[in-house]
Amino acid sequence: MIQFKIVTPEGIIYEDEIEKITIPTGAGEITVLPKHIPLITTLVPGQLTIWKKNDDMNQEYKVVMAVSGGVVEVRPQNTVYIMADTAERAEQIDIDRAQIAHKRALELLKEQKDVVDVDFAYIQAKMEKEMTRMRVGKKYKKLKPMD
Amino acid sequence: MALNTRAIKTRIKSVKNTKKITKAMEMVSAAKMRRAVESALNTRTYSVLAQELLEHFGQLEEKHSPYLHVEPVKKILAIVVASNRGLCGSFNSNVFKKAKYAILNKQDIATHHVNSKKNIIPHNNDVSIDMVGIGKKSVLFAKRESQNLIAVYDTISDRPRYEEALPIAQFAMQEFKKNTYQKVVVVYTDYVSSLVQEPKIRQLLPISSVDLEKILREIGADTDQDKKVADEVSSVPIDQFLFEPSLKQIMDTILPRLIETQLYQVILESAASEHSARMVAMKSASDAAGDMIDDLTRTFNKARQAAITQEIAEIAGGAAALE
Repeated sequence: MIQFKIVTPEGIIYEDEIEKITIPTGAGEITVLPKHIPLITTLVPGQLTIWKKNDDMNQEYKVVMAVSGGVVEVRPQNTVYIMADTAERAEQIDIDRAQIAHKRALELLKEQKDVVDVDFAYIQAKMEKEMTRMRVGKKYKKLKPMD
Repeated sequence: MALNTRAIKTRIKSVKNTKKITKAMEMVSAAKMRRAVESALNTRTYSVLAQELLEHFGQLEEKHSPYLHVEPVKKILAIVVASNRGLCGSFNSNVFKKAKYAILNKQDIATHHVNSKKNIIPHNNDVSIDMVGIGKKSVLFAKRESQNLIAVYDTISDRPRYEEALPIAQFAMQEFKKNTYQKVVVVYTDYVSSLVQEPKIRQLLPISSVDLEKILREIGADTDQDKKVADEVSSVPIDQFLFEPSLKQIMDTILPRLIETQLYQVILESAASEHSARMVAMKSASDAAGDMIDDLTRTFNKARQAAITQEIAEIAGGAAALE
């Protein structure tokens, strides 16, 4: 079992004991199993998959989340902390809203090509984030009928 | 007498109006406080984790990042978080007291405490402080203390957003990197509960595992509280950790973000404290107005009764004279 916690500036998004977790990091996707070596790495926008066991039966199920940038900290004693800028459960993603936000970011990017780098980087990050949300959300919705 | 009662009546009316205003302000701040406290508490977990991570990095012998660089201090940047508006009790004056304390003890603040044995003392005992203010009221303080105020951010809303903390953090990091300042501290108000808010000084840059607040307390001048400060530098040695892709790369991405978060948390805590302080101040104002109304009503009744009694006495006296 791994003690897992994902926090954003808005609060704790998810906190539980889990079996394993797949994280998109700056050095590629990794899966953390119990007894993982202590590790600090960067989180990149992408899909986070958590495997959890049911309380009664020993059945595994998945929790899928969309995350944007942040920090992953694997501590000794099977503890994983993720500090993400944003994180969202796949079933909570509003694809329409993500699409609108993505479009808006694209427009902003076109309009403000010449503004300061900070804004540019910010908008670009936002676009990346919304694209991930859309991807994860859509994937989840496709997955759902098959379960 | 009729004149007297009328004067009292007008006063009662005006006090009642004031009470209505303070009551309304109290209710508005209560609502704002709830939201501010909620967001401050929500961010706390994130910020505590970030702080722990920062402290891990602070332990490193090799300084891989400019933000960990410790140098003898010549100039300090103090970010003072005050409010935009007044009528919030002693909120601002407490922050200013703390800031003034920092100015008076700048030698102590300028000293880097690397660990319990090793201290880096400031450059030839000549430390100057520049101030960055958050909130309009900080300007008054800078003026009064004739401090060198280099920037004021007075557009922070009642519900601070992460993006609002960014420019301030970026400014601090930039100037620190350029070596304009060798130390950056924030003076802010820590939200303990709706009745207790505690002004604090925290070191933002360079990142260090040493708690500035604790050091100041040890020096002894700070007597107003003996609240214990958790400064457990966690038991995990940093060199046990694996870094992917590389330590340098991680630091470059993570450290600025963590510093931004720290500042954001500080602003949130201050906002929560400000609204609580205002709510409490307005509540006591409303209570005081209530007491005053009671008092004035009593005086009014007395005056009215006295007038009536006197009138009767006059009539009775007049009637007696006719007999």
